[in-house]
Amino acid sequence: MIKIFIIIFSIYFAPIVFSAESAPCGDYGECDDYSYDLYNNESLQKGLATYINYCYGCHSLKYSRWGRIAADLEIPQEILFENLIFNQETKPGDLMTGSMIKRNAEEWFGVAPPDLTLVTRSHSPEWVYTYLRTFYEDDSKQYGVNNLVYPGAAMPNVLSHLQGKQVLGCKEVPIIASNGGVKRDENRSDITEEKCGYLKIKESGELTQAGFDSLIYDLTNFLVYVGEPAKRDRERIGWYVIFFFITFTALSLLLYREYQKDYH
Amino acid sequence: MNTVFKWFNDRLPIVNTFERHLSKHPVPKKVNFWYLFGALASVVLIIQIISGIWLMMPYQNTEEGAFSSIEFIMRDVDYGWVIRYMHTTGASMFFAVVYLHMFRGLLYGSYKKPRELVWIFGMTIYLVMMAEGFLGYVLPYGQMSYWGAQVIISLFGAIPYIGESLEVWVRGDYYISGSTVSRFFALHVVALPLMLIALVFMHLVALHEVGAGNPEGIDIEEHLDEDGVPLDSVPFFPYKVLNALVGIGVFMTVFSIIMFFFPEAGGYFIEKANFEEANPLSTPEHIAPVWYYSPYYAMLRAVPDKLGGLIVMAGAIAILFVVPWLDRSKVNSIRYKGIFSKIAISLFAISFLTLGYLGTVPVTELRTLMSVICTAIYFLFFFLMPIYTSLESTKQPPERL
Repeated sequence: MIKIFIIIFSIYFAPIVFSAESAPCGDYGECDDYSYDLYNNESLQKGLATYINYCYGCHSLKYSRWGRIAADLEIPQEILFENLIFNQETKPGDLMTGSMIKRNAEEWFGVAPPDLTLVTRSHSPEWVYTYLRTFYEDDSKQYGVNNLVYPGAAMPNVLSHLQGKQVLGCKEVPIIASNGGVKRDENRSDITEEKCGYLKIKESGELTQAGFDSLIYDLTNFLVYVGEPAKRDRERIGWYVIFFFITFTALSLLLYREYQKDYH
Repeated sequence: MNTVFKWFNDRLPIVNTFERHLSKHPVPKKVNFWYLFGALASVVLIIQIISGIWLMMPYQNTEEGAFSSIEFIMRDVDYGWVIRYMHTTGASMFFAVVYLHMFRGLLYGSYKKPRELVWIFGMTIYLVMMAEGFLGYVLPYGQMSYWGAQVIISLFGAIPYIGESLEVWVRGDYYISGSTVSRFFALHVVALPLMLIALVFMHLVALHEVGAGNPEGIDIEEHLDEDGVPLDSVPFFPYKVLNALVGIGVFMTVFSIIMFFFPEAGGYFIEKANFEEANPLSTPEHIAPVWYYSPYYAMLRAVPDKLGGLIVMAGAIAILFVVPWLDRSKVNSIRYKGIFSKIAISLFAISFLTLGYLGTVPVTELRTLMSVICTAIYFLFFFLMPIYTSLESTKQPPERL
């Protein structure tokens, strides 16, 4: 009786409760898939290099320290200081506070560029990965670009010479019928309609599309690392702790069974 | 007995206390897994106190320092992340086990005579925990800390006449600021934990006075052996301790899986917006409380009037206190209650879970309607309890466990 009741009740509730939410990646819809790899030091190092060269001028990583990154990513300190740190007075233990003065930044951009230490945590790695690849030319904007994931973003596309000029274009797409299938005509070929809002490269840049995607992959990977530097350790140590508690449970179960014989 | 021990025992009731509360304390010999959550709650309380003490050392209770000191703990303090995740996971797990513990009480009538006071102390613990959790959530001073506090503190403003001054008094300022953080810190780490420990102590003393219940809802004191010990009981130590140890093992395994692999629990244990520092000038798109408050938040939003919402929300918790006097059934356990009780408690559980979900998602018209229906079911479960528990026909529970 109770079971029947629960079933009726859940059937009644399900469609209301699980109605659609707004898409996580703005006008782009669902974000592109992304899976980080924190054991790939080469990728993390490349990501760091891209970050310092293209992002760090405006975006600080103020909760993170130079020395910690060098140690975690296995970058010798001389190389770090020669190639990535441009301020002679910086020490390895210093926080990466950026070089832009907040008041100037507000004057130049309207809003100060946010600190990005935790960006993959306050959004998600997928969001960052998609965001950085969805800038497109838009003359109505201050910097001539707009973004699909974050429409109206007050940021110039600093990587456009690598990616090339991306624009929004239209293409023919199959019409989806209300039952979820693709609509077809009597010759069984798909019926299509023109839909707009698709990204395409108008003028190619220094990198191929795959090359650019891999650059952004590494950059996002680095940001995932810097969002939580202990993540690698956490997942490694976690296995030992879980193993300990499983053993603990097994042993206490055996002991409990033994004592249970006293009163059963 | 060696002389040193005897010296102490003559001045302090060591043996007496050990025998009364552990080695000779009789507990029902046959209970099910529902009876483990009390022990688990005390384990989490200990985890929270210990991890809390260590978190307190590097934490800065200032407007400028709060958020960055949390990141300092996560990055620069050796194993600071272990302690911090232990505390955040612990907070959610505390509520999880306490909700299950409370539901056990409703299922098996643990609140019924003579355990009314045990129930009331328990409910007071729950109330203090809710305040404790809220205060703690404000301390990292992220966006959700700030805006969550904004929503909750503004509820005081709905109280007629004194509302606005009360709001200022709670915040210690005209808006949420460093003084709010530092007073919440004091309450979170000193005042409420002291109350919690005192209440847990009373909860246990009262429980040991009347004895633990069992899933059959029968009184084991009715069949005693020649020494006056219930026949269907075993000593708490070592039998129940060992039983609890198995439960603790399973629980800690689950706890560690969450803590080490999913500490944010998909944004339910640590909300995404809380990875951004509090910013009074930018409201997050969607303000949602942590999952353990969400049923009440859904009730609050179900009522269009703010004061009305506050009354409903407070009433939803207040009514739990009087459950011992609402249940008129001759039997304690759901196993022997009638069909109405069974339907009522299922509807109640489903609507509470639904409210919990609705409290975490943005409102739509349909969802508001659902919240209203579920809130109504929640209250009807209690309001109609005297009627359906006294009208329905019950089954006869067995004599012995």
